[in-house]
Amino acid sequence: MASMDVEEAQLGFPHWKPLRRKFAPESPFFASGNIERELLAKQIALDLTEDEKHQLREMVDGEGRGCFCPIVGCGARLSSLEDFEDHYNARHTASCSVCSRAYPTSRLLSIHVSEAHDSFFQAKVARGHLMYECLVEGCGLKFKNYKSRQQHLVDKHKFPTSFEFFKKALPSKKQRQKNQRRQATSKKAESSSMQVDNETMDGLVSGVSKLSTSDSTPSAISFGRRPTRGMTFVPRAVQHEKKPGST
Amino acid sequence: MADDNTASHRRDPIKSSVANVAGQRRRQQAVSVGKERRESLVRAKRLCRVGISGDSDDTVDSEMIIDEEQSILEAQTSSAVEGLKSVVAYQGKGALQKRVSALHELRRLLSRSEFPPVEAALKAGAIPLLVQCLSFGSPDEQLLEAAWCLTNIAAGKPEETKALLPALPLLIAHLGENGSLPVAEQCAWALGNVAGEGEELRNILLSQGALLPLARMMLPNKGSTVRTAAWALSNLIKGPNPKAATELIRVDGLLDALVRHLRKADDELATEVAWVVVYLSALSNLATSMLVKSDVLQLLVQRLAMSNSLQLLIPVLRSLGNLIAGDSQTTQAVIVPGHEITGNIIEVLVKCLNSEHRVLKKEAAWVLSNIAAGSVEHKQLIYSSEAVPVLLRLLSTAPFDIRKEVAYVLGNLCVSPISPTEGDGKPSLILEHLVSLVGRGCLAGFIDLVNLADTEAARLGLQFTELVLRGMPNGEGPKLVEKENGIDAMERFQFHENEDLRNMANSLVDKYFGEDYGLDE
Repeated sequence: MASMDVEEAQLGFPHWKPLRRKFAPESPFFASGNIERELLAKQIALDLTEDEKHQLREMVDGEGRGCFCPIVGCGARLSSLEDFEDHYNARHTASCSVCSRAYPTSRLLSIHVSEAHDSFFQAKVARGHLMYECLVEGCGLKFKNYKSRQQHLVDKHKFPTSFEFFKKALPSKKQRQKNQRRQATSKKAESSSMQVDNETMDGLVSGVSKLSTSDSTPSAISFGRRPTRGMTFVPRAVQHEKKPGST
Repeated sequence: MADDNTASHRRDPIKSSVANVAGQRRRQQAVSVGKERRESLVRAKRLCRVGISGDSDDTVDSEMIIDEEQSILEAQTSSAVEGLKSVVAYQGKGALQKRVSALHELRRLLSRSEFPPVEAALKAGAIPLLVQCLSFGSPDEQLLEAAWCLTNIAAGKPEETKALLPALPLLIAHLGENGSLPVAEQCAWALGNVAGEGEELRNILLSQGALLPLARMMLPNKGSTVRTAAWALSNLIKGPNPKAATELIRVDGLLDALVRHLRKADDELATEVAWVVVYLSALSNLATSMLVKSDVLQLLVQRLAMSNSLQLLIPVLRSLGNLIAGDSQTTQAVIVPGHEITGNIIEVLVKCLNSEHRVLKKEAAWVLSNIAAGSVEHKQLIYSSEAVPVLLRLLSTAPFDIRKEVAYVLGNLCVSPISPTEGDGKPSLILEHLVSLVGRGCLAGFIDLVNLADTEAARLGLQFTELVLRGMPNGEGPKLVEKENGIDAMERFQFHENEDLRNMANSLVDKYFGEDYGLDE
């Protein structure tokens, strides 16, 4: 099967490899063909109607195909694999009204809103309260900052180190084009005074960051000529650079 | 619920004026019969309801036996067994006739309905009596009736089939070539049911020497015996232990017989023979290499081209698939691009892809995916054939299990064969194929796979997406993926419980949709 080696896991992405696939005779892959064999062999002797045959096929197929929703913490039973799309759209696309980010549960959405858009939340954090809750429902632990909550998720709940709860959404193409144009024009007009502006800009920015007091990730707001234009994905590598003390 | 529908398909509405309670019991029985019926239909066992010699003095009953009838049947069966017991003991004048008569009665009761009163027969002690009736020197008629009874006793539930254990050595013995053909065939049928039960019984049959005599029964050119023997053998060698399959191909004359039958036999016989080939090719490397060296591949292709019988096409297609999947060296030596047979194989596979039958479409795509996993020339052959437009259509319209197989074909077409020397694990792309297929709109179909709850499908979708992101010229990849909502699809994995998929999606997003994305437009 085109399955992943342990080696590959360490190397990164498991690239497509064209492999021959062989199946054992009683493999689930051959199940529907095997059923068909028996149905066809017996249909004359037993006078099966088309309807009965159809039901039998559906029943046998169906037993293999129901599954559970793979979104963490959901566990809803899906009657078929095609069901997942509808289920996902119905239950897992609660989105933030401020930044349009979608979350798979309303609980996670509300945690996001507090952490990313609520100044009261930030104020409490600044005063040392344990505000960052564990994302796993039922755990109940709370932490002083994003980073220690993150560590808890990795250590206790086996989250991947690559998991980032606070990740900004990629802006739409239009938005990015707008940002680009804004950047281009401002670059042209103010190339001479860029140096000064940068300093002022940076000063402003760092001031705002200090307000939030969360010692890692970029804040939800960013200005003009910073490398993070508007809301963009910040690759893990960059985020790690911006960890404590860098702002 | 399927059960309710099944009940409504009973052909005779139950006319009676019995009380509510009986009515309820009947409905309950209908539900449980529904389930029982389903189980019995998908078993690899077969009831013998019409005699081998075309015994037509009994009307075959396919209607549901209602309560009262069922218990009457059971009572009759018990007394038939009692009757048999007394005549077996009797040694006097006309004993033979009495025995045959009693057996005939029991056999009739065991052949009437879809659910013969096996439990009643066993409880009354039928097996030891039937074993006695199989003793050496018994007249053919007696042997036939006894074997027929045993056949139907073994056609049902596991514990009923297992009850035949004491009878096995005799049944096997009567397969011999010195006996009458109908007797041998009926014994083969009974043994086929026993083999169809499970691995344990198969092993017992094999250790008692059932394989060789059954194999010999396949050597003649025609006759129902050949067909029944082939079916019984297919149950006997299905493993999972490959020993039986390897032993079978070694039987003198067997390979020749397989070839002969695939070439000349009628559809019915060819079907059962093809199933034997299915199991031979799936389990035994020796068999695979012997089959590939013979004319079998050609004959399978011919059957696929000429027939429209689903019953025949399924095992023939699967045999072809197993042979191609089996051993790359031998098959690559035969399926050489440029040889006539190779083009023919692809043609018949396309025919199967175009079939209305789900099983054929899925397994044909599987076979193509294995050919597409071969050399560059193989990929070019498929790429330039009639297959691609069909595959593209199936990728967007077919049920999901077919779409997965199609994805394997298309993806394999876009990636070079893995060379054993390549160290970094990143096979190179066949750009021409990738660009063309993406240009013809296949990316949407792959991203749909990413959105499925099935791990394998999502994996395939993400892997193909990576090819597009990496390989499309002029940095078009990311834009194309974004256009098909690929970014949304990948973002879903942030909260997916599968860590591998999460990492795969994250790494793609990080690499191709980082903060620099769209900057140099």
